[in-house]
Amino acid sequence: MIILTSILVLGILGFIFAALLALAANYFKIEEDSRVATILAILPGANCGACGAAGCHDFAAKVAKGEVAVSGCLVGGEKVAKKIAEIMGETGFEVHKQVAAVHCGAKLNQRKLKASYSGIKTCAAAELIGGGGLLCNYGCLGYGDCVCVCPFDAIHLSGGLPVTDPEKCTACGKCVKACPRQIISLRPFDFPVIVACSSHDKGADTRKICPVGCIACKICEKEVPEVFKVVDNLAVMDYSKSGTNCEPAILKCPTKCIVRVG
Amino acid sequence: MELFGIFFAAFLINNILLIRFIALCSFFGVSTQIGTSIGMSFAVIFVMTISSAVSWVVYHFILTPFHLEFLRTAAFILTIAALVQLEELYMKKMVPNLYRAMGIYLPLITTNCAILAVAFLAIDYKYDFLPAMVYSLGVSFGYSLAMVLFAYVRERMALAPIPKWFQGYPIAFITAALMSLAFLGFTGMFGL
Repeated sequence: MIILTSILVLGILGFIFAALLALAANYFKIEEDSRVATILAILPGANCGACGAAGCHDFAAKVAKGEVAVSGCLVGGEKVAKKIAEIMGETGFEVHKQVAAVHCGAKLNQRKLKASYSGIKTCAAAELIGGGGLLCNYGCLGYGDCVCVCPFDAIHLSGGLPVTDPEKCTACGKCVKACPRQIISLRPFDFPVIVACSSHDKGADTRKICPVGCIACKICEKEVPEVFKVVDNLAVMDYSKSGTNCEPAILKCPTKCIVRVG
Repeated sequence: MELFGIFFAAFLINNILLIRFIALCSFFGVSTQIGTSIGMSFAVIFVMTISSAVSWVVYHFILTPFHLEFLRTAAFILTIAALVQLEELYMKKMVPNLYRAMGIYLPLITTNCAILAVAFLAIDYKYDFLPAMVYSLGVSFGYSLAMVLFAYVRERMALAPIPKWFQGYPIAFITAALMSLAFLGFTGMFGL
């Protein structure tokens, strides 16, 4: 008798829950574009957020709605963009491959110190304690947090300064996030020129502490006005002007902080 | 006052993680970052309160009348699993922001032993409905407290130069044991 009641009670309980779930699934159904699931299957699925969306699913949903370009996935690059374009029925899109660039040019022997640092050997820890004794408040600390986080072996230290390998770099943005001084950013692959300095100090101050820092002399602005502009004591580049000849600015820069890379 | 006693006992004195050692898998699994530990904590508070209410009703109004108290393990697992599914469906549609914030933690909680333990304990203590609710709130807040504290310690440990043999879980276990010892200090507070 007790066996029968237990089977009945549990069975009925299970049945009620099943019915409830079935009803709820129907009632709370979300009309999702069928393409979202297909696009999601193609994406790398790393949920890295380099595209600007909250994750791969968010990105797929935005692509299906037409809010972002099919080539938005930086990690997937051209291959993924092509497949997504097929699903979306788009043709003639452009892929702009991006790579990480380090905006500091001071090698280990060029950095001036205000104190010697003997704490934990990571940039994150050094930045917490007075910038690891570095005199420059903007420059590279050189402990290689960016090297540690790179999943693609695309960034290495050379003379205490991280150097990226544009061929291996997928622009996942992990090093950009890892750098406590925010001196790494993404640049277009086909525009291999960077301003290797992040200092917003006044020119005279920068000149005192660093031989290769931007001193905001505005010579680059005069030479190649389409690309360079000095904002807040630092030369910044307009990367949308791809293909412009930056050679005059590179040659005339007095501290040689505008450099050709890759 | 009695309700306060129940809450406080569940919150600190019998802290589910550090004194009872229940739900340790999530305690070590998602406590590496403060952000994720807070997400998990909120999901646990949410699910634990609702699931203990429903399992209390299932026990007292379905199992007891049929004298099937021995079936409570199976019945509670069924109830909790169905409930979490239901909550997920509801939140996805009605509060998508909250759903996205809780993310993966909501379905993960289905298999969290703390949820089942609270449903059992509330019945073992022979609590009425309101005290059972206060008890599960206390337990879930205690879970959150231990979780967030531990996440802060672990974020600091990530920067510390730990000897190679202690890196990762060994040092985490030692830290958790020390925290557990500290929590033993609450024993006997307010005569509880």
